[in-house]
Amino acid sequence: MTTTALAATMRGGYKDYGFGDTAVRALDGINVDIAGHEFTAIMGPSGSGKSTLLHTLAGLDRLTAGESSIADIVITSLPEAKVTEVRRDHIGFVFQSFNLIPSLSAKENITLPLDISGKPVDKEWFEEIIGILGLGDRLTHLPAELSGGQQQRVAVARALVARPEIIFADEPSGNLDSRSGSELLGFMRRAVKEFGQTIVMVTHDPSAAAYADRILFLEDGQIVDEMREPTADKVLDRMKQMGH
Amino acid sequence: MTTTTATIAAPTTVATAATMRKGYKDYGLGGTAVRALDGVDVDIARHEFTAIMGPSGSGKSTLLHTLAGLDKLTSGESSIADIVITSLPEAKVTEVRRDHIGFVFQSFNLIPSLNARENITLPLDISGKPVDKEWFDEIIGILGLAGRLTHLPAELSGGQQQRVAVARALVARPEIIFADEPSGNLDSRSGNELLSFMRRAVKEFGQTIVMVTHDPSAAAHADRILFLEDGRIVDEMREPTADKVLDRMKQMGR
Amino acid sequence: MLRLAYKSVKHNPKRLLLTTVAVALGVALVSTTLTLTNALSNGFDELFAETTGTTDVAVEAQETSDAETGDDMWAPEDALISTDDLASIAAVDGVAAAYGGIQVDGTAMPSGYEADGSMMSGNGAPTILYNWHGVPDVDKATLVEGSAPTADTDIVLDVDSAPALGYEIGDTVSVATDTGVEEFTLVGLVRFGESNSLQTATLGYMTEARAQEITGQDGFQEVAVVTEDGADNDAVAEALADVVPAGTRAVTGEQLQAEQSESLDSMLQYIDIFAITFALVALFVGSYIIVNTFRIVVTQRTREFGLMRAIGVTGSQVRRTVLLEALVIAVVAATLGIGLGYLGALGMAAVAESFVGDIFGTMSLPLDAVLWSYALAALVTLVSALLPAIHASAISPMEALRESATESKKPLKTRNIVGAAIALLGLVGVFVGLYTDLSMPYVYVGAGAMALVVGVTLLAAQVLVPLAFGLRDLLTRVFRIDGKLAANNIRREPRRSANTAAALMIGVMLLALVSTFTESLKSVITGEFDAMEADLFVTDSGDGVVPEGALDIIEGAAGVDFVTSVGLTSVEYDDEARTLVAIDTATFESAYETDADSDLSSIGDGVFIAPDVQDLGVEVGDEVTLVGATGSVTLEVTGLVDSSEDGSFWVDWSTADALEDGLGAYQSLVVLDDGEDVDSVQSAILDRFTEEYPLVVLQTPDQMTQLATSFTDMILGVISALLGSALVIAILGVANTLLLSVTERTREIGLLRAVGVRRSSVWRMITIESMVMAIFGTVLGMILGVGLGAALVKALAEFGFGTATIPWGWLALYTVGAALAGVMAAIWPARRASRLDILEAVAADG
Repeated sequence: MTTTALAATMRGGYKDYGFGDTAVRALDGINVDIAGHEFTAIMGPSGSGKSTLLHTLAGLDRLTAGESSIADIVITSLPEAKVTEVRRDHIGFVFQSFNLIPSLSAKENITLPLDISGKPVDKEWFEEIIGILGLGDRLTHLPAELSGGQQQRVAVARALVARPEIIFADEPSGNLDSRSGSELLGFMRRAVKEFGQTIVMVTHDPSAAAYADRILFLEDGQIVDEMREPTADKVLDRMKQMGH
Repeated sequence: MTTTTATIAAPTTVATAATMRKGYKDYGLGGTAVRALDGVDVDIARHEFTAIMGPSGSGKSTLLHTLAGLDKLTSGESSIADIVITSLPEAKVTEVRRDHIGFVFQSFNLIPSLNARENITLPLDISGKPVDKEWFDEIIGILGLAGRLTHLPAELSGGQQQRVAVARALVARPEIIFADEPSGNLDSRSGNELLSFMRRAVKEFGQTIVMVTHDPSAAAHADRILFLEDGRIVDEMREPTADKVLDRMKQMGR
Repeated sequence: MLRLAYKSVKHNPKRLLLTTVAVALGVALVSTTLTLTNALSNGFDELFAETTGTTDVAVEAQETSDAETGDDMWAPEDALISTDDLASIAAVDGVAAAYGGIQVDGTAMPSGYEADGSMMSGNGAPTILYNWHGVPDVDKATLVEGSAPTADTDIVLDVDSAPALGYEIGDTVSVATDTGVEEFTLVGLVRFGESNSLQTATLGYMTEARAQEITGQDGFQEVAVVTEDGADNDAVAEALADVVPAGTRAVTGEQLQAEQSESLDSMLQYIDIFAITFALVALFVGSYIIVNTFRIVVTQRTREFGLMRAIGVTGSQVRRTVLLEALVIAVVAATLGIGLGYLGALGMAAVAESFVGDIFGTMSLPLDAVLWSYALAALVTLVSALLPAIHASAISPMEALRESATESKKPLKTRNIVGAAIALLGLVGVFVGLYTDLSMPYVYVGAGAMALVVGVTLLAAQVLVPLAFGLRDLLTRVFRIDGKLAANNIRREPRRSANTAAALMIGVMLLALVSTFTESLKSVITGEFDAMEADLFVTDSGDGVVPEGALDIIEGAAGVDFVTSVGLTSVEYDDEARTLVAIDTATFESAYETDADSDLSSIGDGVFIAPDVQDLGVEVGDEVTLVGATGSVTLEVTGLVDSSEDGSFWVDWSTADALEDGLGAYQSLVVLDDGEDVDSVQSAILDRFTEEYPLVVLQTPDQMTQLATSFTDMILGVISALLGSALVIAILGVANTLLLSVTERTREIGLLRAVGVRRSSVWRMITIESMVMAIFGTVLGMILGVGLGAALVKALAEFGFGTATIPWGWLALYTVGAALAGVMAAIWPARRASRLDILEAVAADG
């Protein structure tokens, strides 16, 4: 693990939800470094806090206690408007579903982050992404006219287009059939290998996690293990070991 | 990737709670068309806890929906309690659901404006049947909901909400309960509790349950697991454990 | 951002459809009104252009300063210009010829008429009769058939009226005048101006001698001056100013036309203001719908806004997007409304003209209609969308990741406090306006009522919670689970339900207010007639003055004990115009019950004063100087009369004659001999009236009451019709809220259907919800309306109003109407809900 070129870090991260009877501790003292130009997967059973870790790292949600930073900017101490700017300028997102604005075409959805910040679209880069993701003939379609796999590829294109410091993906293949899912994850891996993109992905699917360079295992809000150069078999063995 | 099409013979020829023959289901048209079920033959035995497993997009939810009469097959036949629902009009299917089926979904199981007790007795209120007081109290006791009956869903934890949903599914003593990832949104302890309750309902009261899950440890609570891939049943397993399931998943090339 | 807003509206136009229609309906009312009044103004401008536009210079009576008597634009004036004056006018430099005009006060009766003693004897539109000159530019008419009137028994009528009245050339035409029925022979037909566009009036000409004989005056009322070719009309008018007799003026036709147009336009402006007030009410109601729609849409799009926030859109950008969407709706709605309004105006003009004939001029969409429409629509939508937009900008990016929209659990406390404060402020405003002596009280009442409405809307949410809770048991017992869920749904989003109900409340409130007022007015009128001892009432439907000859006939009729007449006119006291009542002091009190401190016969040569004069500090024994049209008198105050609404000063006829020579009877009361049959006396008198005074109205107290009642019903009808669009908008609002709620509750309804609830049950559930909201809004509206109506009636006690009459019949009708409206409003949403795809609900991003 390199100690330089950290895309994101968290120190002493705690997150509690709710009050009284329904209170839940989702993160229970997390220390993590996300290395640049790496594909990191976060795995864990339902309720282990993996989505919460992603949300707090990405500045979508606030930690109850602790500190986290993106591209050396400590976002935990920033006001909401500044955090929005950090998201806009340094982060890309791919969610499990509802990734696209229903009223905008694929092309408009992809360039939305640039349109918001008023930056010009890098034509060459746009064409390259579209080419790799095979979206050339779908650009004028509305999200409802695209298949689930195409929708997720549009979301990945949108995340890539502004060349963000880091992309956070929450179960990006969760709603796709196995072929579309593999394709999507293949694209994401290519983005890391060929363009040096940094990606953090949450998944519960061993074969999805196998695309990553490194897997962090979460259980009950704590990081309990990690794995480098994973394969689906290694992950399944690890899950058995963890008492599943 | 093995694509062996195993035809699963019904384990018992009598006492099937639900069956499907040559079930096909297509979604969408043209470029975005997807075949979700690709010729499914299945028998769900009475008094058994059946789990349906498979990767995302394998069609496991579609199988559950079409078996339960929530969705129509594109072609093929399915029946509940010996009633062929594929040929019934919508109003009749609604009645079959009301009288013979209980449901537990992954989330949004409860009507937000009704309290726990009202949610539980909802199926009986709809059909105008009286509530069997003893049975109600027994379910509530087992599920540990006694102190929560007047709470609204928003005032309950996720695990409690799912237990209320299970109580609702049980209260009318339906022929069959369909559960779609019932523990999917719960932490591991609450999830385990919930699945144990469901297993108890099968063992102690002879309830029939069909559950969709992608979680090996959840599936391990079942008597029998059906494995789906690309809309087909590719394998089944009896007396599963989490380890056996994980091994099976490795074998399937995952 | 504008593109995103536009795309978003375009992407899902359905959810904004009803909102757009609601705004469009309000706008349509504005553009219909402005288009119609504009066309009406055009119509009269055309008329004025033909009557006065062709005149070079006219000499006419000076406008009397006091407007109360000079109201009637058709009424003939005194003949102030003598034959000598005419000669001196003709002698002025630049004058080629001068023609003396006489207007005859009479009404051409339809062929075969029969006097029935009711208002219907005259057909409503006036008859204008002149002396014939034979000069088209002076007469403004051209002979098109037959011959001109040469003999004193001849008459010509305009080409449209003659057939309308049932006359052909050679027939005998009856004209009712103050002195009896005059008979003529129709000798010809004339066309007025180019197109005979008389706005339904009847035009006729006779000889100068006959005209003077009927009017009983030697001179002329006006002079049409034809100037020499090349003469400057302005200069001639100026020169004429020196020779015209006192009380008259010389004015160019051009200027006269401008004056007429101007005074008409200022009158039409009142109609505009009146109708635009109702349009504003409609738009105010519409704003409730916009608020609700945007609130709900913002909630539904929580994930979308959350996603936008997640990828870096700032809160203010989200807010701007929502406001821009509102603007897009405003533009679409206003455009739609303008078109709708224009079509509405065309339709209404067609309907109106089928009843009263060609009264509208060129139909065109006036620019101010377009500007008003866009401005009002933009204002209403932007203001209404502001709060939801702010709400949208506060959505956190985490919301994008949540399963479903969370319900608003915010307590109602703030809303209640603000609501109570605004309602209280409104009440204070209303009472200050009604019961204190401020100038422009209606401003306080109007603003107060509006604040009250907003306040009650806010408070209604709190009322709904326990109400829905109370209704829950009842609805559950009657409709089982459907009823229970419906009651829960109303309670769940009390703000939304309250806003929806309140939109209906506003319209119903105004209806209840007006019906309380008109019903109370009816009681006042009925009570007044009940208190009278007179057996018959005499009025005139021609010029409003009961002819002397008619009174003579009544007095001479068998069975009549006596007739006592009342005159009304305006006098100046202390430089202010006040109403003067002239009565026959000897007989009046035996026919009419008056609340005076002493017998009316004690007026004598003095005057009784009403409370409004007493308020000025005038007391019994003081002397007052009154200035009338033809004289002034100083009178001693001999008593008090408690009836400001009838008049300020009460004098005997002899005194009145000194103030205004020739003051006629405005109303006469007939008392019969004891034991006489009213009906037979009435019909005997009417038989004689057919011959001589067909326009005199002779009615029993019952008939008068009926007439007054039908009049108040007509007021209620007109106002109800104008409130129609506000009510329709409110019903659309109920449908809209339910429709959006159904979308929002997709998963819930799907779940219900999954566990076995039938489609019909879902339908019933939505219908119950709709009916409860509609009836709740209506009941609130009725409480407010009756309350405000009662307050208004009480404030008008000085004008004879007693206690307020609660219009139970109307209220019952409104309630039934609300229930039906509820059922109707539920149709679309219920249909949508019952047809929801179950899977879409339960599998929604599973």
